[in-house]
Amino acid sequence: MTVAGFLTTRITALGAAVLAATRAGVELWLVYVSTIAGIVRGFSRKNRRNRGELARQLHAVGNKSLVFIIVTLGFIGMVMTYQACLQLGRVTGDYSQVGSQFLRLIVSDFGPTLTGLMLATRVGAGIAAEIGSMKVTEQIDALRMSGVLPIDHLIVPRFVACVVMTLALSVIGSLVMYGAGGLTAQYSFGVNPHTFYDLSFIRPRHVVLMVVKALAYGAAIPIVAGFCGLRARGSSEGVGWATTAAVIGGSFAVIVLDFIISAAALFVTGGDL
Amino acid sequence: MSTAFIEFRGVTKAFSGKPVLRGMSLAVDKGEVMFIIGTSGVGKSVTIKHLIGLLRIDEGEIWFDGARVDQLPERALAPLRKRIGMVFQSSTLFDSMTLAENVALPLRKHGKLSHNDALAEARERLAQVYMAEYADRYPAELSDGMRKRAAIARTLALSPEVVLFDEPTTGLDPVSARRVDRLIRELADKLGMTAIVVSHDPPSIFGVADRVAFLYRGVVHVVATPAELRASPDPVVQQFITGRSKGPMETPGF
Repeated sequence: MTVAGFLTTRITALGAAVLAATRAGVELWLVYVSTIAGIVRGFSRKNRRNRGELARQLHAVGNKSLVFIIVTLGFIGMVMTYQACLQLGRVTGDYSQVGSQFLRLIVSDFGPTLTGLMLATRVGAGIAAEIGSMKVTEQIDALRMSGVLPIDHLIVPRFVACVVMTLALSVIGSLVMYGAGGLTAQYSFGVNPHTFYDLSFIRPRHVVLMVVKALAYGAAIPIVAGFCGLRARGSSEGVGWATTAAVIGGSFAVIVLDFIISAAALFVTGGDL
Repeated sequence: MSTAFIEFRGVTKAFSGKPVLRGMSLAVDKGEVMFIIGTSGVGKSVTIKHLIGLLRIDEGEIWFDGARVDQLPERALAPLRKRIGMVFQSSTLFDSMTLAENVALPLRKHGKLSHNDALAEARERLAQVYMAEYADRYPAELSDGMRKRAAIARTLALSPEVVLFDEPTTGLDPVSARRVDRLIRELADKLGMTAIVVSHDPPSIFGVADRVAFLYRGVVHVVATPAELRASPDPVVQQFITGRSKGPMETPGF
């Protein structure tokens, strides 16, 4: 093969990949826009049936993830506090700032982000598997034939449930993380709970950051998962692909959003976070 | 303009660069039962899904009742999908709904009935296919034949002018399969409904069809009545209808 021929094949392959990625990006954006439009339509129509579905989804996303979030964030809170105290003990031996700084980290980042990552796996996989299997068994086509917009029927209730419940679970997860950290500091390093549970370093901007992050993750997870589910092709293999893609895509979205929102917050506050 | 009730003109469709339909043309008259037959993967289901906008054609035209329908946007397809119903291959009842709720869904959405009116109507429709006593059961609790009957009831709930059947007898026992055949024939004879049936079940083809379109290599190879098809000297047609494994027919993947 000539050099020119070799380059042409490589450039063609690269171009095809870029085109496919752009097309996927546009489709993802369309799912998002249609979902928002669906929510607006839902408000104007006051559809009672969809409220029942919303309640079911709130339960599926929120209540059923509660134990999972409490256990994982509790353990992470314990390990992080233990490591922080261990390192501090070697360097300064002063534990007085551990609790207050840990709380700042939890509120402005770890609480919502770890909750988001956990939900991206649990909820994202569930949504993608459910919608993906409906896609490959032609149930989505049957919905369209019945005069139902699949996005309104399937993604809108999951989207709303996810936004609400990611925020709620972020708050609960953060409290558990903080509590578990405090217990670890007290029993392993003898840190006084009054010193650890010191809220004086928390400012409103930290809480705002937490809320913004939780809402952004809550919006991204069902959109990415729903998009992956709707793209499922073939049979069970396609559903497997959709589930894997939803978990990877959802986790990736959480991490990228974390970076973007944190950077924006630093920019807005002029570095005073 | 098109003179036939339903007409496909030079339709092409490729999936990921692999051509499935290569300039396929077919005209279906009002009130006739047209069977589309051919080997698996030849594009039979793909063809009928184009008619109702579930798939988009690459090139060509599709006409229904004097209007071109292949370029309609998703929102404009609702009236078309009211007039043309489809019974999917795997029944595709919604798992999370009871049979009555399944049948009521198109009545609520297309027919604009209230929830309770739609449910009452759905029960009547289920009774027509002898499924009234299962109205409150979920699809997963029922046999394939029952699910197929409920799916047919859901499609017929809107009294469509055309019904597309995607392999309606596949996976059914012979008795249930012949009942479905009889139902298709009755719909055409008594209600004047037009039916396009995708099938490779010989008893259905020769028992029900008015005309048969044999799809081969992405085009309609032959359109004929069942009797003409049986008498056809074409070796490919003969191999298909007699089901011989050896012959001139190209069967990709085997």
